[in-house]
Amino acid sequence: MTSQQPRAFFALDLGSATTSAALIGHVGGRWRLVGHSCAPASTGADALLESLLRQIHRADPEILEDLGAGRGRGRGSEAILESWPRFVASSAPPRRIAVLAASRRQRNRLESVAQRSGWKVVSASVDDANPMDLARTIFATETCAVLLGADRSPSGDDRKNLPDLAALVAAATRQRPELLVILAGGAAAYEAVFAEQNLAAAAQASAASGSATATATATAPAPTPIPTLAPVAPSTPARDRTDGTAGPEADIASRPPDKDASQSKAAVGQPQAQLGAVAGVERDAEDAPLQAESGSAPVDASAAPISTPSVVAVPELPATHVLLAPDVEAGSPPGSSLQQVLEGLRSEPNDSRLNIARSIASLAYVLDRSMEVVEVGLQGGLVARSEPFGHGHFSILSSHASLVEGSFAPEDPSDEVIDALAAWSTASIDRHRLTDRLNDLRVAPWGNAEGDGATFRLAAAKAALTRLVAAAPEISERPMPELLVAAGGIFASLPASVVTLGIADIVRRSGISQVACDTARVLGPLGTIEDEGERRRLLANLADDILLPMGSLVVPAGVKPGKSAGHLKLKGTSYVSEIELHPGAIQVVDLPSGRTATADLDFRDTVRLGTRGHHFSMDLSGGLVGLLIDLRDVPMRISERPESRRAALEAWQKGMWPEVDE
Amino acid sequence: MSPRTARTSARSAAPSVPPSSPAVELPPGLERVARRRILVTRPVVRIGLGPGERALVKAGDSIEAGTPIAERTPDAEVVDIGKLPGIEAADRPGISPATSAIAVDDEDEEAPRRDRRTPPVPGKWWVGGAERRGRPPLKKPLNRVAGTLLFETHGRWRAAVGERHEVVEAPFGGVVKDARNCVEITVEVNGSAIPGAIAAGEPSRGYLDVPRLTDGELWASALDVGKSGAVVVAGSRISAQAISRARAMSIRGLVAGSVGQGELRDLAASLARQRASLAPSVPFGLIALDGYQRRPLPTPLLALLAALAGREVAVSTDPPLLVFDVVDVPLPELARDWVRVRSGPHAGREGRWLEAAGLRRFRGGIYLDAAVVRFVDETDTTILPIADLERFVL
Repeated sequence: MTSQQPRAFFALDLGSATTSAALIGHVGGRWRLVGHSCAPASTGADALLESLLRQIHRADPEILEDLGAGRGRGRGSEAILESWPRFVASSAPPRRIAVLAASRRQRNRLESVAQRSGWKVVSASVDDANPMDLARTIFATETCAVLLGADRSPSGDDRKNLPDLAALVAAATRQRPELLVILAGGAAAYEAVFAEQNLAAAAQASAASGSATATATATAPAPTPIPTLAPVAPSTPARDRTDGTAGPEADIASRPPDKDASQSKAAVGQPQAQLGAVAGVERDAEDAPLQAESGSAPVDASAAPISTPSVVAVPELPATHVLLAPDVEAGSPPGSSLQQVLEGLRSEPNDSRLNIARSIASLAYVLDRSMEVVEVGLQGGLVARSEPFGHGHFSILSSHASLVEGSFAPEDPSDEVIDALAAWSTASIDRHRLTDRLNDLRVAPWGNAEGDGATFRLAAAKAALTRLVAAAPEISERPMPELLVAAGGIFASLPASVVTLGIADIVRRSGISQVACDTARVLGPLGTIEDEGERRRLLANLADDILLPMGSLVVPAGVKPGKSAGHLKLKGTSYVSEIELHPGAIQVVDLPSGRTATADLDFRDTVRLGTRGHHFSMDLSGGLVGLLIDLRDVPMRISERPESRRAALEAWQKGMWPEVDE
Repeated sequence: MSPRTARTSARSAAPSVPPSSPAVELPPGLERVARRRILVTRPVVRIGLGPGERALVKAGDSIEAGTPIAERTPDAEVVDIGKLPGIEAADRPGISPATSAIAVDDEDEEAPRRDRRTPPVPGKWWVGGAERRGRPPLKKPLNRVAGTLLFETHGRWRAAVGERHEVVEAPFGGVVKDARNCVEITVEVNGSAIPGAIAAGEPSRGYLDVPRLTDGELWASALDVGKSGAVVVAGSRISAQAISRARAMSIRGLVAGSVGQGELRDLAASLARQRASLAPSVPFGLIALDGYQRRPLPTPLLALLAALAGREVAVSTDPPLLVFDVVDVPLPELARDWVRVRSGPHAGREGRWLEAAGLRRFRGGIYLDAAVVRFVDETDTTILPIADLERFVL
C-alpha cells in the first residue's frame, strides 16, 4: 500500500428509515471495522459521520491519527470527511409497474416474476378487468413502467386480446411518454405499434414546434446489465481463497443464464441509463418545491420527508422506451431471465438490496460455506442464497428475490398483511388499531423502538419475513444454510435472542446453522465495490467483524411428542455438560462468542437433522445467544385460535426475552 | 411561544433567519434529532386526472383560485366510437363524426374553425351521441357523451366517455407546470403551505376556522351549518362521525393531528358512492398533520393555524398540504432546543432538549441513544430515546 492509498474509508447505508455509517480502517495489518452508528434517515450523512468520529475519538484518541487523519489537507473531522473515501448504498422507494396480460394465467405468472424483482406491482388482464380499470392503471402517474407479456407463441385469449391491449398501451405512451414499456415473450411482436405511435408523436411535435424532439423506439442493444460504482477500492493481502487467480471468478449469478437473457440484458442497457436520467429529473423536481425561493432564508433541505408530487412537469417530452424481454418461461429456474431484466430496470446503481446479495455471494466464496441472508427494510425486503459448488468450490450458485411486500410496514397494508401481523403479535389489539400502528410505523419507522413498541416491531418483522420466505420457494426448498445472516435496521435494534428465535420461527428447515447479524449494515456498501477480487479480499478481512455471531441454531425434524426426546452432550475445551431434550421446547445452552464446542445429540426416535438418524455429532460455534435447540415441529404447528396462538408465542418469546415485561 | 410576524409570501420578502436553520449552531447531539419542516414555499401540487377527463388549462398558464382547470367524467366507460376519418372528424361539440362532413357546408364560417382542427389522437377530447355507442335512441332524447380518445385498432377508435361532467375549480392560485388529458395537472402554487402526513378526499378551499378545542379535541356536535364553507381545525383526531357531519354541513375540509385507517376507508367509500350518484357535491378534503394514532397538534403548528384563522386556505391532497397565499404570516418563534416526542409512551409532549445521554437501556432491555429532556410545566427531567424526538424547522 502506497502512502497515497487510503487507510480508512466510510461505509454508508442510506436506508429509507435509518442511515447507517461505519468506519473501516487498516489496523494491525488488516482491514477492521473501527466503529459504526445509525440515526433516522432525516439526519444528514455528514452529521452522522461527524458524530461517529467524535465517538471513536472519545474511545481511542489515537486511532484516527493511526489511520492517517492527521495527514494530508488538514486535521479535524471536516478534513477527514472530505478526504476519506465512501462506499455508499441506498434503498430508494419502490417504483410501480403495471403488469398487463391478455389472460389471467399469464398475468399471474408475470406478476410473480415482477414482484420478485423488487417492483411494486399492480396487475390486470383483459379477461378479468374492466377496460376502464385497465386504462386507469396505465394512465396513473404512479405507474412508471408497463410489462406487457404473452407466451412465446400466443394462442387462444392471448392472441385475441393482445392487439387491443398493445394498442391501448401504445396510445397511452402518447400522453405519458415517460412510461417505460417492456414487451415480454410473444408481446414483442407488437413492437411496431409503439414505433408507429412514436413516429406519429414525433411528426405532431415537429408540426407543432418545427423540430421533432421525439425519436423512434429504442431497442438498440447495448451492454452493462446492472451498472456499479467504482469507488477507490482498498487493496489488502488475501486469504487462501481470495487470491483472485484460482478458478473461474465469475459467479453463476453474474453470468447470463441463457441466450435469451443475454439478449434481453443487452437490449436493456441503453434505456436503463436513460431511465436513470429520468429518475434524476424526478428527484430534482421533487426537491425544487421544497426549497426556499431565491433570496429567502436558508431552509433545512433534509428535513423530515413529506409526500411530494409523484410526477413532475416534462418540458420536452422524451420518446417512450420500449424494451423487448424474454418470456416468463425463459431461464433456469423459469422466470429468472425476465426477473434479471426487470431488476436491472428497477434498481439504482448502488441499490442496497442487490449489493447485499452480491456481498453474500462473495462471502460464500471467501468462507466456503452456503449462506443465506434475510433482510427486512421499510421499502422492501430481500432473501438471497449463495453456495459454492463444483470441483474445488470455486464457483458460486446464487439466487435471490427482492420484494416490496418484504417491507415491515408496507404502504396501504392489505387485509393479508394485517392478518399476518396479528398472527405474530403477542398483544391483543383490534384490527383497526393494528393497522394504525403499522401505518404510523411507516411514517416514523425509527421511533417507538422500546417496550411494547419493540414487540410490535418484532411482530412486523416476522410477518415481513414470512412473506419473503413464501415468495422464494426455490430457496426454501434448499437445505438449511451453514450461515444465516439477518440484515436490516429492524433486526439491529432488537435483542439477539429474539432475532434468532424469529428466524427459527420462520426459516423453518431441519438442519444446523450459524446465525449472524449484519449489525453495522456494511454488506450493502461493500457490495458496491465493482471488482469481485477486491470485494472478496476485503470481506475476507472483515467477515469476523461485520457478522455479529448470534449463535448456532439446531432444528431437528420429526421429534415425536413425549417426556424426553433424547440427550445433548456438549464438550468444550474444559467442560462437558449434559442436557435432556424436551419435545416441543426451545432450549438454550450457553456458548459464548468465539468459543466452539462439540455437540453429541442422542435422540430417542429417528429424526432428520440434515440426514436421518438417532445420533449426531457436530462442531458448533457460539454467539450472543449461545446454542439454540429448537425441538418444535417442522413445519411449525401452532393453534389457529388467536388466544392459544398468542399464548404459545408469548411463552416462547418470554423464555428468550425475559426483559419484555419490564 | 409567542408569535412573531414575518413576510413569507413567495413573491415578497423572506422570513427572518429561523433559529433552527443550519447557519445556527445546535446544542451537541441535537443534530441527530429528526427534523420536521412546518412550512414550505411555492409547493408543486398535483391534481390527478383519469381516462375520460381533460385539462382546461395548459402549461404556463397563470391561474387563480376558482379558475376552471379540469373537467371530470364520473361515469366514464370505454366505448367503441367507430371510425374517425381524420381532421374533419374532430373538435365539433355536438356533431357526430358521421355527419360532420355535411355539417360544414358553410365554407366562410367554418373554414377558420376547420383549420384549427387536429386529427384524432389518443387523449384528444371527443364529443358524440348515444348512437355512437350502439344504442340508437328510441323515443328518447339523444344523450350526448364526451370524453377522451383512447386508442385505435383496425381503424376503429375506442374512447373513455360519459354523459356526466363536472368542472374542477382550482383551489389555489399558481402557475400550471404541466397539464395532460387523462393524466394530471401540476401547479406551482403561489404561496406557502403546512405539510401534512396524510390527506384524503379532494382538493378544496375555504376559510380557516380554528374553534376552541376541549382537551385538544373538537366535539362532532360543534360542526354545525354555521361552519359551512370552512376548513375546520379539528384537534388531535378526526372521528368518522365528525367527517360525516362535516360533509353534511358543506364544510370544505378538516385539519387534525391524526386520522385512523378506518375513517379513511369510510371516507373513500362514501366519496365513491357520492360520485356514482347523480347528486353533485362540494369538494371535501382532510389532512392529518401527524399520522394515524391520536396525538395532540404540535404547538408551533397550532400557533401558525391560529394566526391564519379566518383567512382563505386550500387543502391539497397530493401532496398533503394546507396551502395559504396570504402575504403576512405570523411565524411561531422556535427555540433551538424545542423538541417534541414523536412516538412512544410520551407521544405528543413537548419540551426542551437538555443534553445527549449516550446509550441507555430502555424497557424491554433495548439499548438506544438517549437524550435528557425537560417537558413543559415539569421540573424533573426525562430520559428518552433520541429516535422518538423531533424538532421543528421553518
